[in-house]
Amino acid sequence: MQNVRWTALAVLMLSACSQQNAGQSETATETEQTAESPADATAPSRSTAETGEVAERPPLDPYPSTYERYPGETVLITGAMVLTGTGERIDNGSVLLQDGKIAAVGAADAVAAPDDAATINADGKWVTPGVIDIHSHLGDYPSPSTASTSDGNEVVGPNTAYVWAEHSVWPQDAGFTRALAGGVTSLQVLPGSANLFGGRTTTLKNVPSRSVQGMKFPGAPYGLKMACGENPKRIYGNSGGPGTRMGNFAGYRSAWIEAQGYKKKWDDYWADYEEWQNDDSNDKGDAPESPARDLKLETLAGALRGDIVVNMHCYRGDEMVQVLDLANEFGYKVTTFHHAIEAYKVADYLAENEVCAAVWADWWGFKLEAYDTVSENAALVHAQPGGCAIIHSDDSRGIQRLNQEAAKAMAAGRRIGIDIGPEDAVAWFTANPAKAMGIIDQTGTLEAGKMADVVIWNQNPFSVYARAEQVFIDGALMFDRNDPSLSPRMDFEIGQRDNGFTGGAGQ
Amino acid sequence: MNGVFMKTLTGLIAAGSVLATAASAQTIAIMDGTVHTVSGGVIENGDVIIRDGRIAQVGADLSAPSGATVIDASGKIVTPGLIAPYTNIGLVEIGLDNEANDSSPQEGFPLGAALNAVDAFNPDSTVIPVNRASGVTRALSAPNSGDTLFGGKAALVDLSGAPGSVMRADLAQTAAMGYGGASRTGDTRMGAWAVMREYLDEARSYQANPNDYVRRPRSDRMMLSDIKALVPVVSGEQPLLVAIDGAADIRTLIRLKNTYRLRVIILGALEGWRVADELAAANIPVIVSGTANLPDQFEELSATLQNAARLHEAGVQIAFYETNDTTHNARLIRQHAGNAVAEGLPYDAAIAALTLNAARMLGVADQLGSLQPGRVADVVIWDGDPLEVTTVPEAVFIDGRPQDLNNRQRMLMERYRDLDRGDLPHAYRGGE
Repeated sequence: MQNVRWTALAVLMLSACSQQNAGQSETATETEQTAESPADATAPSRSTAETGEVAERPPLDPYPSTYERYPGETVLITGAMVLTGTGERIDNGSVLLQDGKIAAVGAADAVAAPDDAATINADGKWVTPGVIDIHSHLGDYPSPSTASTSDGNEVVGPNTAYVWAEHSVWPQDAGFTRALAGGVTSLQVLPGSANLFGGRTTTLKNVPSRSVQGMKFPGAPYGLKMACGENPKRIYGNSGGPGTRMGNFAGYRSAWIEAQGYKKKWDDYWADYEEWQNDDSNDKGDAPESPARDLKLETLAGALRGDIVVNMHCYRGDEMVQVLDLANEFGYKVTTFHHAIEAYKVADYLAENEVCAAVWADWWGFKLEAYDTVSENAALVHAQPGGCAIIHSDDSRGIQRLNQEAAKAMAAGRRIGIDIGPEDAVAWFTANPAKAMGIIDQTGTLEAGKMADVVIWNQNPFSVYARAEQVFIDGALMFDRNDPSLSPRMDFEIGQRDNGFTGGAGQ
Repeated sequence: MNGVFMKTLTGLIAAGSVLATAASAQTIAIMDGTVHTVSGGVIENGDVIIRDGRIAQVGADLSAPSGATVIDASGKIVTPGLIAPYTNIGLVEIGLDNEANDSSPQEGFPLGAALNAVDAFNPDSTVIPVNRASGVTRALSAPNSGDTLFGGKAALVDLSGAPGSVMRADLAQTAAMGYGGASRTGDTRMGAWAVMREYLDEARSYQANPNDYVRRPRSDRMMLSDIKALVPVVSGEQPLLVAIDGAADIRTLIRLKNTYRLRVIILGALEGWRVADELAAANIPVIVSGTANLPDQFEELSATLQNAARLHEAGVQIAFYETNDTTHNARLIRQHAGNAVAEGLPYDAAIAALTLNAARMLGVADQLGSLQPGRVADVVIWDGDPLEVTTVPEAVFIDGRPQDLNNRQRMLMERYRDLDRGDLPHAYRGGE
């Protein structure tokens, strides 16, 4: 089993079709330590020192994924218009799903199916990779939405890098089922944007489970949510600050300075400890004392090391350019600007710095920093050489129709002469978010060896009338519009109001 | 009726002052399009002749009058202008900027029903050209409730952005009920209904004997201007537009409507499908979302994408509104209608919901919402199916005048399309 080191570089490289195992059996504690492992966040080192005392390193993920794929038969989807997510479009194409993986993709006459394969005649239908939302609060701001359930924003101070979104995720959120009916197979759940540092994000497979661990995407890197602009200064302006945009930046910089110091302390400690361990002399004395762990700084240090992907909520172009310098100042990488209403004003900077822009098709005007949207935002980002556009939802309704949002953005681009076809725009809600979330090796495109996360649409998905007919996750048919038994319903909806008429995917 | 403003002289002038502006004398012939008249079916290769701001003729094989501006609409779809039946257009420029948001009073402000959208409506709002470019030609500009149940009086406006774009002031009174009402009355629905009845009773008292009412000590009466504003509601001439979602709440509203003989329009009605027959019997039209399907509140557990289709099926008149941002993105009513069609609403009913039915529930179907002779010439020529998210208008007419489809968003796009440094900064580009 190959071990992945999630560096910012790896996250940003579209690797060729990888044969990686989804890592269902992998737990953080089995991670093999390598020379470049993060100093304060890897598996315990197995020391052979005879002291019997071994310093334990904090595990990368103490709440490991217990997700296991559900069984699925070998399925040949044939005769469809296939959008692979890699920019390819195959008329009369076939996709073969086997053992939870995509076994083959290609022209119908070029894909051979084993004898035991069930065939789905998808003539006239379209097939895409599973939809991925890079910006969701499902589970953290679930339905029903009451004070009791609103757990997405730790509004107690401007730096709450110590909170983890997964610890708020309520797996019974009915929103997950509605999103499934919209073709969503994976999503990133972020803490809210009240704070400069909101906390850690989590990446989930959209498969119902009794625990959030049962939904966690195996091997997905952690993310850090940060926010620029209006929110932090509005929320903390009268309670200790920041009260201005310059206060925001001072807050980021102070935190990063502190994180650098913390990181160095741990790096030094482990170097000393190893030296002590390897010391064969009899008078080597006691092991060096380890520094105190700090949850907030552990996350920030993880971002500095490149193990944790930085997601920056930012609206204005000028602020995004400042944030790029901020990241350079402290040597970390911003992977995605979220919302990015003014991405089109700085699309060249974003492309040069290999940063994605996750945008809406047309939301605007709810605050001043969201005043300058243009319908062509995603298209103009996409049109830059190396540009990376993502359509995101940030919304429990929007997540159900990212295909329609992408259609609006694509059409706007085409009207001003930017050449974008469905085969390109499909990447805005599949491959590009997968790349930005660090899971492109496993999902996000229809390529042999990847997870069989697949949607069959009843027609061209870039239409208001399109509906996801069947949604496969790791090869298991998890939603079928024509089969009520394949429409998950959350506990909250059971026995409510004419049970049988309400609830369930799509609803 | 306090004031009736109309941009064109009509034979149907309600009591009140009339502001007549010179109608454009331009004659326009839109030829050979697929014409959705809404009131009289679809005419393939149909023609629409516009004269003096009104629809003069609609049919097949008409000839363009001499001197008319002829527009070839072959391969295009022609519909009436879209009507957004619930927005804060002209009242909100920036949602979170108090100085640029006039939609509702801050906490502690005593008045509600007396507030009048027409007093604050800003025809210069950039929201107007953005929505116009997406085919919306008329909108209800409505205030939202502050501390009281009532938001105030809504006005029907056109989206020309002209100073005289208020077509009809005081068209409806607005109120929040269900939990929205309860949260303003001690956090109980019982309180909301009790307070609502108290307001209506007071308005009746005032109506019956204004002199007695105003002679009461202040402590024995409610805010006078609010009570005065509710007289047209209790007299049945002004509809009460009520934001309400739960099936049980809607049933109580129907009882109240019958008791007080009110005209009611419902906004939201997420559980409307569960009381669809009662709504139809009570002749209450509803303004719904086409995408709301989450059990977000206990009064919304039955929210479903099929709400619009089921209400229509039961004979309830429907129109659409965009719930996330009913103002800046009022334009999304098309997407709501398209999604409702995908969930079972007949296509023609969806087009009607965006045009004629919205006009009907606002009481202006004699002017707007259909393409037939004598109607106000609000017309849109689309480059494809108007319900499709990839479609845009190619031409928009309001009162027979061709509208500029340019807007601030388009100008910003043009300014930044080319990010090259150039000879001068971007600040020197565009906007001429």
